[in-house]
Amino acid sequence: MTTATVSRWDRFRESFFWYSFKRDKVAIASFAVLLLMVLAAVFAPLLAPTDPYDLAQINIMNSELPPVGLDGADSAFPLGTDAQGRDLLSTILYGTRVSLMIGFGAVVLQAFLGILFGLLAGYLGGKVDAILMRIADVQLSFSTLMVAIIVGAVFKASFGNLMFGEIAIYMLIFIIGVAEWPQIARTVRASVLAEKKKEYVDAAKVMGFGTRRIMFRHILPNTLSPIFVIATVQIANAIISEAALSFLGLGMPETQPSLGSLIKSGFDYIQSGSWWITLIPGLVLVVLVLVINLLGDWLRDVMNPRLYKG
Amino acid sequence: MKKLIAAFVGSMALAAAPVALSAEATKELKMAYDADPVTLDIHEQLSGGILQLSHMTFDPLLRWTQDLGFEPRLAESWERIDENTMRFKLREGVKFHSGNELTTADVKFTFDRLKESQDFKAIFKPFSGINVIDDYTFELVTSEPYPLLLNTATYIFPLDSEFYSGQTEDGKDKSAILKHGNSFASENLSGTGPYTVAERKQGVRVEFERFDDYWDSESPGNVGKIVLTPIKENATRVSALLSGGVDFIAPVPPNDLERIKRDNSTNLVTMSGTRIILFHMNQERVEAFKNPKVRQAIAYAINQEGIAAKIMKGFATPAAQMSPAGYQGHNESLTPRFDVARAKELMKEAGYEDGFTITMMAPNNRYVNDDKIAQAVAAMLARINIKVDLKTLPKAQYWPEYDNRAADMMMIGWHADTEDSANFYEFLTFCPDADSGAGQYNAGNYCNPEIDALVEKANVETDLDKRAAMLKDVEQRLYDDAAFIPLHWQDLAWAAKQNVKIEPVLNVMNFPYLGDLVVE
Repeated sequence: MTTATVSRWDRFRESFFWYSFKRDKVAIASFAVLLLMVLAAVFAPLLAPTDPYDLAQINIMNSELPPVGLDGADSAFPLGTDAQGRDLLSTILYGTRVSLMIGFGAVVLQAFLGILFGLLAGYLGGKVDAILMRIADVQLSFSTLMVAIIVGAVFKASFGNLMFGEIAIYMLIFIIGVAEWPQIARTVRASVLAEKKKEYVDAAKVMGFGTRRIMFRHILPNTLSPIFVIATVQIANAIISEAALSFLGLGMPETQPSLGSLIKSGFDYIQSGSWWITLIPGLVLVVLVLVINLLGDWLRDVMNPRLYKG
Repeated sequence: MKKLIAAFVGSMALAAAPVALSAEATKELKMAYDADPVTLDIHEQLSGGILQLSHMTFDPLLRWTQDLGFEPRLAESWERIDENTMRFKLREGVKFHSGNELTTADVKFTFDRLKESQDFKAIFKPFSGINVIDDYTFELVTSEPYPLLLNTATYIFPLDSEFYSGQTEDGKDKSAILKHGNSFASENLSGTGPYTVAERKQGVRVEFERFDDYWDSESPGNVGKIVLTPIKENATRVSALLSGGVDFIAPVPPNDLERIKRDNSTNLVTMSGTRIILFHMNQERVEAFKNPKVRQAIAYAINQEGIAAKIMKGFATPAAQMSPAGYQGHNESLTPRFDVARAKELMKEAGYEDGFTITMMAPNNRYVNDDKIAQAVAAMLARINIKVDLKTLPKAQYWPEYDNRAADMMMIGWHADTEDSANFYEFLTFCPDADSGAGQYNAGNYCNPEIDALVEKANVETDLDKRAAMLKDVEQRLYDDAAFIPLHWQDLAWAAKQNVKIEPVLNVMNFPYLGDLVVE
């Protein structure tokens, strides 16, 4: 058992993947920053000085304190406070957590739906293909935001605000996941169309394997690399979608701020002195999305056979 | 051909001549409020926004001046006949937008309609009737000597009786008052005021045009067209002014006051206000609110000074009662009682140590920073274990919810219509009674007949010292009983371009007399 893991580790270390990662400084830096942010987000309850979701800990008298280093700052609030007196550092840590959860959650849902429908459409072809791809076309003709706004409004009206606050995060994962699955489905379908004409598929058929087994065990592994690339980009997209929805007041409720709703809450103050309420979470959001996109770029280069084999 | 051209030019010159005479009112004013009027029926809702609309498109019998005196408008003069009767002489030759002429019939029609209006009937309750003497003379009669008769007459904006009578094409009564409904009056308007409504898209823009036959030829106003755009976002509204997109904005958010003061092209006007912002606790929806200890606990949990200092940036006066300083009922001994430890103790005594969950609603474009205040109050209540499900809405949606008493705690701001303490109690703490209109905006369903009786007694008391003592006692009792949660008196701020002379037309009631506005 141990030899197996060692050999797998060795294999990884000898792979082109690891080789190109080691030589790409941008990728290393991006990965380090992302890892740091993910860790900070995961351990937010331990790291954050206060719990921003607990309204009882907020004191209005602490509102709009600037970050440390500026006049009037309080060392208890290193990044300052927002208009209601929440500690910005804690809120950003929790907000990053929400953003990442929604980003990853939505992409897992997208990938599940996209891979399933893409495989079915590509491999079975014919009517199944036509129907699934037309559904995807219809879905793509609505913008994510529009769908999210409508679904969000319906949820809000039917559940009441308090209930909505508790399920908001799952609802956002659901909305963003469902709205964007065609992106992945189309990519998978294209790869499947190319793969299914290859000899190993014919061989599998001759050996008498079932359709399901050929689809999932033989074709799917060969279509994974474009999915990885798309998934990274989609994580960044999902985070941005969530921020946009929260900025419009349709995402996370004010009592559980995500990065987007934090940016919105500071918007009234940006020109009247308290710039940090909007600017700091804004920077965090930009950095988060940027490093994910950079990693996605690098991954695309590595996984594109034409770029390194040709 | 030449002849033809000459004739054409000549006729144009002739046609242009009368226009040139009345061309004083040629300026255009673009203004941005936080919201636009929710209806055109000035009797549908008693609110600041509707009264502002009334002063633009109608004229009152008389109106307040900046120093809180009276100024004759449609009533030329008035004299007291006996202790219950006041005789008014109406201005002659005043035309409505429809072309009809103003007579006492219109005043009677308006008076009767006010008595019917859900929102206004309580204000006109002391009036027993109206006596029409001739076309231009009438008397207002009260059932008992009423010291605030003239104050109340500032709310009589005569309506065009001919225009509002009869039936619409689909058989509806034109004079009907329908709350949040589509009545004839909510979409059509004919008053005597300086402006007509040329175009209205609810929530998008309202266009006003100067009324050519406006009776007040002495008015210095030279604005021919007003475009009102509602801009809900505070920062956006201020930016619109500073960038030159609009010429006049109200309200100015407290955190942008400095920015506007620094800007040389704009002019800022501020006044300390008399509008109280408060929360009601609905006893019919929440059993716990029936317990005075719970209400007191909430009163102790709220940090009025914190809200005034931090959210309002000092641009408000923390309140512990409804009557602002200077009002007869203002009781100096009442001060904000912020003390979380005491609040927790009271919750424990009441048996609600573990707290409970309530719903809260507040508007987000009606009062200055209303949504932020509501959030802060929700956070303060969390400290005594009351969990708040807060919803903030634009005022067009908020008022229907308010009339349905749709949440356990609801925010309201009140400016005394008569500039007198009693008006606060009549609308906000009287036992709700749909027939008399008492307690029309009492979303707490607080009911204490003893206090109501005391206010009624004060209303007919002509000895001012005795009256003040009674009203002060009322404030004290409401305070002890924690009938509601007062927050602050909101200050007023307007800002305009330097060439828009807003200062002379503004007043503490927040009814800008835009008919008299001069733009240079």
